[in-house]
Amino acid sequence: MSAEKKEYLLVDENGQGKPDKPWIFRTYAGHTNAKASNELYRKNLSKGQTGLSIAFDLPTQCGYSSDHEVSRPEIGKVGVPINSLEDFRILFDQIPIEEMNTSMTINGTSMWLLSLYVALAEERGVPLEKLNGTTQNDLIKEYLARGTYIYPPKESMKIIVDMYEYCLHNIPKWNPSNICSYHLQEAGATPVQELSFALATAIAVLDAIKERNCFTADEFEQCVGRISFFVNAGIRFVEEMCKMRAFTEMWEEITKERYGVKTAKYRVFRYGVQVNSLGLTEEQPENNAWRILIESLGVTLSRNARCRALQLPAWNEALSLPRPWDQQWSLRLQQVLAYETDLLEYPDIFEGSKVIESKVKALKEEAKLEIQKIIDMGGALVAIENGYMKSQLVKSQTERLSKINSNELVIVGKNKWTDGIKSPLMTDSDGGIFKVDPKSAEQTLNVLAEAKSRRNADLAKKSIEDLKKAAKEGKNLMPFSIACAKALVTTGEWADALREVYGEYNPPTGVDGQKLFLSDDKVSTVRSKVEAFTKANGHRPKIVVGKPGLDGHSNGAEMIAVSAKHSGFDVIYSGIRLSPEEIVQSAVEENANVIGLSILSGSHKEIVKQLFDELAHYKAKIPVVIGGIIPESDFDELKKMGIREIFTPKDYDLMSIMEKIIDIVSVEPAFA
Amino acid sequence: MIDTKESLSQLVSEALPGEKYPIAKIISKIETENNLEFRESLFQELILQNPDTKEGLTIGITGTPGAGKSSLLGEVCKLFLDLAPDKKMAIVAIDPSSNVSGGSILGDRTRVTLPRRDNRIYFRSQPSQLELGGLNPYTYHVIRFLRKVFDYVFIETVGIGQNEISVSLISDLSFLVMQPLGGDQVQFMKSGIMEVPEAFIINKCDEESLANSSYYMLESTLEFIKDILPDQSLPPIFKTSVTKRKGIEELLLYILKYQNRKDKNLETLTQLTQWIRNEYGRWGISIWEKLESSQWNQAVKRNPLGGIHKLKYEEEERKFVSLIQTKIK
Repeated sequence: MSAEKKEYLLVDENGQGKPDKPWIFRTYAGHTNAKASNELYRKNLSKGQTGLSIAFDLPTQCGYSSDHEVSRPEIGKVGVPINSLEDFRILFDQIPIEEMNTSMTINGTSMWLLSLYVALAEERGVPLEKLNGTTQNDLIKEYLARGTYIYPPKESMKIIVDMYEYCLHNIPKWNPSNICSYHLQEAGATPVQELSFALATAIAVLDAIKERNCFTADEFEQCVGRISFFVNAGIRFVEEMCKMRAFTEMWEEITKERYGVKTAKYRVFRYGVQVNSLGLTEEQPENNAWRILIESLGVTLSRNARCRALQLPAWNEALSLPRPWDQQWSLRLQQVLAYETDLLEYPDIFEGSKVIESKVKALKEEAKLEIQKIIDMGGALVAIENGYMKSQLVKSQTERLSKINSNELVIVGKNKWTDGIKSPLMTDSDGGIFKVDPKSAEQTLNVLAEAKSRRNADLAKKSIEDLKKAAKEGKNLMPFSIACAKALVTTGEWADALREVYGEYNPPTGVDGQKLFLSDDKVSTVRSKVEAFTKANGHRPKIVVGKPGLDGHSNGAEMIAVSAKHSGFDVIYSGIRLSPEEIVQSAVEENANVIGLSILSGSHKEIVKQLFDELAHYKAKIPVVIGGIIPESDFDELKKMGIREIFTPKDYDLMSIMEKIIDIVSVEPAFA
Repeated sequence: MIDTKESLSQLVSEALPGEKYPIAKIISKIETENNLEFRESLFQELILQNPDTKEGLTIGITGTPGAGKSSLLGEVCKLFLDLAPDKKMAIVAIDPSSNVSGGSILGDRTRVTLPRRDNRIYFRSQPSQLELGGLNPYTYHVIRFLRKVFDYVFIETVGIGQNEISVSLISDLSFLVMQPLGGDQVQFMKSGIMEVPEAFIINKCDEESLANSSYYMLESTLEFIKDILPDQSLPPIFKTSVTKRKGIEELLLYILKYQNRKDKNLETLTQLTQWIRNEYGRWGISIWEKLESSQWNQAVKRNPLGGIHKLKYEEEERKFVSLIQTKIK
């Protein structure tokens, strides 16, 4: 045998061909209740999935128990509801947590969920050092994009640092937080914004840890090594791959230069990926399968910046939650890529490419400038509080939408080649979409009621008081939270205790001063209708854009607010997590001509009913339109309830939406 | 012009006890162009239905963007419900955002969490429509109306430099809100408007030492101005923090106890002059000065500070309109 080294082969120390191990295969999953989710996880694991990625429902994410009034419409909708340790016992039944790599997509209540996990491990006799996984716990991006924050930035950061301190000493293999730029791209971030905002966030976390000064130099290095990232991979896959390479190089530089990390392995940019769902279309949804494949290539082809874990959305994600079959199809794509192709057999295939190198360089330079800007401002926390980052994202998003509207950005099946044969995938008896059984919430509520009745009430009360006291005194809250978990304290009780001490946060909406870049005939048509209205009524039309419930995905609402202003409306937009009562009160006090609701969590029917009840209370007849992920099968019922117009992701043309709205407003009696 | 199905008298009778929707509709009507006739009927109706009509205290809150005015007002609202259980308050928030389309995004509600279904607090946004002085052309009339319904009417405006004088002209009590060491102090000293507000608020006093140093800086700045205006006593300065919930109770108690009212005749006069200037320019002003002002000035003089409101705005506006029409002919 020739001993000649083949540059193109990956080999082990004996010169034998040795392909890379594949990344961790995950599916982001959870729905209905703990029992149904447990069954789903066990099925997925038996199909070759190698890690768990838990989706929690919105009440759990926002720190409400299922029996809170705001929870009712949302229980089990976008993830699994977790109220107390009892739900975790059910959720992980027959799943060996010591062998799992468990990722929890949880932020505002991440300390609580980790405490439950620790309590479960201790109950099962699993040594904590065996626990392996990640709590997402990136509040910065929650303020910017996803909206499941609870406390103000400073207090949130304190909780994150508490977790780093606790984990490093007790659960060394746990990633206490996961800097998450995923949702930034969903909110419209450019690759440069994704790079710079995520890295600025990581810097903010590390600076806060440094400031607490709770680690020795060696421990601090290990701590840097625990920072992981969760990123997004979009459809422009060459650019996305360059973004990943830029991330890797920049993290290496930051950890070395800013933090003086000497050990090479602690400077490695470790990241997981969920590929982009923003670009998935409701129109011709089968095309999404190809989009998902292409997006996966961006984060797998490049060995020097290959992801460590991957989760893929389902082809029908723009329509509803995926069914088990849809998730299986997504998992199979990963398996084909990792096991059928030769992808893992080669060293980095882009090393030395001039194109890739210069693109990476360009991205890095721009991102460095942006990071410096944020640091000069006082860091990521300041850039959140003064609204800078949010307004930058809303700006990128409006630019992106303007381009889709003007067909500058081609989206197959949406603004080009829109005629097609209806997908046979959608003809199954369930219509190709998944709906949560509304009765399943009862099971969750029963578990909760039972846990409450069975627990030692005095102990629960005492642990909550201890938690509050610790928060007031600025102590590390982890041990107190774990004590709460063991005392069967509920999610809502835990979060309320800290709400009492820290207060709740209400961030800038980022829509002030935003402009759309649209000036075609449609815009002038809408504007002339708005002018006609203004002339006839003596004042501009007024719209209240409302984002009710716990669903914090506010991109749609923000775009409508900006478009309405662009058309000449006076717009009232007060951000997320409003109750129907608050939205109606705004509309009544402002004498709005129309209310526009944005709901993506699937609870539109319940919320619309509450809203009309409240309008009746004021004897107000204000027309209501609604936008969001709303299945066609609900249209009739919503219209019967009084909804005047329904917009879904198919309605991407902002000016057509605005035209429909001004038409509705224009026929209303002038003085009403 | 008034919807027959819903007569003005019914709207007024529902608005007076504080029903939100009728109040909202009346404000929209006031905010409509060519509203003179409507205003005449409205204020007649208000006096007719409630001869001892109340005259709420008007409080102006102004300051640079980002000084935290709205969040502060939000806290004031919460405390108001506890501390003034038999009183009602309204807020008019004037938002400067506006663009070429003429549309606007009114974001001030965002910072204020209001109790639901409580008729004791009413919040209304207004686009500034790019008017100088931070006030919308209809603001004055909206305030006049709200004073008949509410015990306290807050006007929140963004003011930079000279512009915030406007709000103090229609307020009984106006506050300038600043941030600690925001550099505003020097700016305001230069623009010579420190004498305009009746009181000052240093907001965002989250940190004691920073708050105190700002307080003393402002105090010494004000003392400097006091030398120029020797008969003025030093205005109060409040240190507030929304996050630490500090100083807000003191601020609100000061407002609740505040007795002084500015001369409403003078207010009418000022607003009318401003309207004439906007509508008819210097030519209009010259006519008004030649023919009417001496008579009005005397009327104002006869009513010392806090005097009864004798001048009826609409009546005077109509008088001037007919006067100007004879000139045009």
